Amino acid sequence: MPQPPRPDDAEKAGPFPPDLHDVRHLWLKAGLLLLWALVSFVATYFARDLEFLVVAGWPLGYWIATQGAVVVFIGIVVAYGWAMNRFERQDAERAAATAGEADGRHG
Amino acid sequence: MAEPGSFSPAGPERPSSGPAYLWRLHRILALYVVGVAGFLALMTWAEYQGLSRHWIGPIFLFLTVMVYAGIGVYGRTTDPEEYYVAGRRIPPLYNGMAAAADWMSAASFISLSGALYLQGFSGTPEQAGGLAYLLGWTGGFCLVAMLIAPHLRAMGLYTVPEFFHVRFGGRWPRVIAALAAVLCSFTYVVAQIYGVGLIASRLTGVQFEIGIMLGLGGVLLCSFLGGMRAITWTQVAQYVVLLLAFLIPVSWLAYKQLGNPLAPLVYGEQISKIAGLEAQLLDSPAEYQVVQTYLRRAQDYEARLTDVEGALEREREKGRERIRALRAQGADVGLIVSASRDLPRDAATARERWTREMRENYERARPLGGLPRHSQAYAGDPHGTPEEQRDYELTRRNFLALMFCLMVGTAGLPHLLTRYYTSPTVSGARASVAWSLFFIALLYLSAPALAVLVKFEVMQNLVGSSFDALPNWMAQWARVDSSLLSVEDVNGDGIVQFGEIRLGADLIMLATPELGGLPYVVSGLVAAGGLAAALSTADGLLLTISNAMVRDLYFSDAQRKASPEQRVILTKFTLLAVALSAAFVAALKPSEILPMVSASFSLAASAFVPAMVLGIFWRGTTRQGAVAGMLVGLGVTVYYMLSHVSVLRALLPPWLLADGLWFGIQPISAGVFGVPAGAAVALVVSWVTRPAPELPRIRSEI
Repeated sequence: MPQPPRPDDAEKAGPFPPDLHDVRHLWLKAGLLLLWALVSFVATYFARDLEFLVVAGWPLGYWIATQGAVVVFIGIVVAYGWAMNRFERQDAERAAATAGEADGRHG
Repeated sequence: MAEPGSFSPAGPERPSSGPAYLWRLHRILALYVVGVAGFLALMTWAEYQGLSRHWIGPIFLFLTVMVYAGIGVYGRTTDPEEYYVAGRRIPPLYNGMAAAADWMSAASFISLSGALYLQGFSGTPEQAGGLAYLLGWTGGFCLVAMLIAPHLRAMGLYTVPEFFHVRFGGRWPRVIAALAAVLCSFTYVVAQIYGVGLIASRLTGVQFEIGIMLGLGGVLLCSFLGGMRAITWTQVAQYVVLLLAFLIPVSWLAYKQLGNPLAPLVYGEQISKIAGLEAQLLDSPAEYQVVQTYLRRAQDYEARLTDVEGALEREREKGRERIRALRAQGADVGLIVSASRDLPRDAATARERWTREMRENYERARPLGGLPRHSQAYAGDPHGTPEEQRDYELTRRNFLALMFCLMVGTAGLPHLLTRYYTSPTVSGARASVAWSLFFIALLYLSAPALAVLVKFEVMQNLVGSSFDALPNWMAQWARVDSSLLSVEDVNGDGIVQFGEIRLGADLIMLATPELGGLPYVVSGLVAAGGLAAALSTADGLLLTISNAMVRDLYFSDAQRKASPEQRVILTKFTLLAVALSAAFVAALKPSEILPMVSASFSLAASAFVPAMVLGIFWRGTTRQGAVAGMLVGLGVTVYYMLSHVSVLRALLPPWLLADGLWFGIQPISAGVFGVPAGAAVALVVSWVTRPAPELPRIRSEI
């Protein structure tokens, strides 16, 4: 098992600037955060206006605040984890492919 | 529950990764769940066989605490890697469960349904709440998942203040972050220990203070010996208990009322019925009488307040007469003493008490006992009178502000963020957040259902019943604390009106099984669930506080040399000291659970989140910028909160305090000012103190 750094290492480390974030990751985050803001802040802002829409016995504004938003939150977090894993796998494959090509040229 | 040894965390000698490890954990969890269910069945059987109620409560309390303590003892460690981050090998599923238990505190378990019952959708302009808690405490995980947890996990840290050291360097960012972590976690832990005391005193009938000490023993056995490793597995065990304890009564009520135990899916039907009952109650003449009585009482107190001295003298005279009359009757000494104690001692206490009573009576003198209509979003009316329009606007604004503070605070609370340090990989950290949210949602989707079902039960069955036939449990709870439950026949007709019942937010969940007529065993389970929720959060918080104090404050100075084992031992003793002082503060009963918890969210939001998010996503953030942002954010929040504490308002000169409410936002949501202020200051200061661009090198050869 690879040993994580011992406590002292982190404390000795100097300041570091964050890695440049991948643009795809930032767009993913921006899109999902927009959705997050829509279901939480925008939907509840208009909750009173949505009250008169009754869907299957539920006033829509109340249903969004008690259940719909929470389900969307779970969806956001799951989608983010899935997409990030996919990006990382693609990056790893690409890195392996370029390493393979480089080996091919040398060999 | 099951015998303590049956839930054994992975020992260091066992394989700690791979499918074999995972299967072993799944097997242990399954055994544990079966054990809990079997124990419940056994207790139910014993109750039918005539086991006294006096025994059921203590048995639940004692056994669950013993199980947690057993896991704590089994997981004991002095290895720093294990003590601080559980060896970083907790699989996402279990990490999610542990984080869910860590997250769902006494506030979620005990108070959330109560708050939803009392505040409906959104609460009142003065006290926003309701679904803001539910949305805030779930929506915040989107921020945690995307902006913070994976990035922190990638850095291989041990505490949250450490991030500020590694990212910005220097001493001050870390020290300030550590102090902020201690501040918000301490506020939070006091609320948890208060919850522990509440439950323990109800379950065993001991005094509140002794209840606190009993619960504290359980907390300490886990976190003191085993640190993060023991806490993680204890929290998994506690999650199982608290989930069962929440779902069983909710499902029972749903089955009883609607014939389907899947409460979140079916309770929509009851919402329209409650709206109908509310309309009936608003028209009922008996309710009107009750409102009038409270109004008269409030006006009486208001009249007294215009001349406190004179009114106090009159009250004293009345009191003396009553004592004389009692003496003449040869009444019990206790009665005489209590009659003489009833009066306020001096004018200042009289003013304070009467002001409170006046406000309470005015509060209850409103239709539906001051409760808003259950499913109506926001008080007031956007198309009504100016007064109603203002109420609507203020409620909505406070609702959104509170939700914002809770969401952002979620992303800043150190005890939650350190949970994701224990994940084996960065991808595992993302999965852990998703699992946490899933496990939290299992409970949070049922909380509004419970509020609706309880309200229906009260309106349908309790209202209109006779005072002589009041169930036993009401009197028992009223004895624990009259602010939890009071029923009084205000208009003297012998029938319970809705306005005559007052339930405290902290009571609804604990009393649900009795209200629904479940076997007493379920009451014991609910109390054990509340205890599990409070203990698991208290565990995580105490560990966070002591780690911050020892690792980030004491040892952040490079001069102090100590071996890792010595640090662990020092952390353990700090933890003990913090736990005792938190218990001391909790014994003073400073406030209700929910306001205390919300305050700590505002603090965490404004202290950590702006500097942390900027530090992760913007290379230009400087050390000075981060320090300034944290200080200003925290400063604005604390200033706004303290400006509205009545004790300080009386002590300090008025020019020093915030002038009224800013934009009508309640002090509980102070973070709504602190977060933007902190972010703006961090940005500006970082820009001002940005390092000079490297000068182009002059080639000396030319």
